[in-house]
Amino acid sequence: MAQAARRMLQRVGSRGPQLLSAAVAYSRPRLATFWYYAKVELAPPTPGEIPKAIDGMKAVVRSFQSGRLAQLTVKEALRNGLVATEVLMWFYIGEIIGKRGLIGYNV
Amino acid sequence: MVPPVQVSPLIKFTRYSALLVGMIYGKKRYDYLKPIAEEERRIEAEEKKKREELERIAKELAEGGV
Repeated sequence: MAQAARRMLQRVGSRGPQLLSAAVAYSRPRLATFWYYAKVELAPPTPGEIPKAIDGMKAVVRSFQSGRLAQLTVKEALRNGLVATEVLMWFYIGEIIGKRGLIGYNV
Repeated sequence: MVPPVQVSPLIKFTRYSALLVGMIYGKKRYDYLKPIAEEERRIEAEEKKKREELERIAKELAEGGV
């Protein structure tokens, strides 16, 4: 048992640099793709966009008042629900940052 | 590559405000819970000390064969 563990450690030790370079080679193009999209899609709103966001909010309220919201197709409603859930998840990420701990409140 | 989607400003705005609100909420709640937990720990330790003292006395009495 101990021998097997030692042998495995040795193997990982000797192949460590190789594994590391493999990991880098694997993740570099994927990270590049991630950044290509994240730079546009995950960017915070620019100050110029905030009035547009407020207009968007007004449009949502208007569509609620006019009953347009009840005429959405199931597909649209599902998509809106997913977007709302995603935004809610950002809140929890913020909570994790705010309490400085991933698991519960470590008080 | 497929060009990135232009995310609606409303979604971006709500995303980042949710992040900020979450950060403030987490901080506030942590600061609220921390002293309560500390007080509970303190009381628990005190009670443990008392309990051990009582146990010690009971044991001494039993050994003394009063």
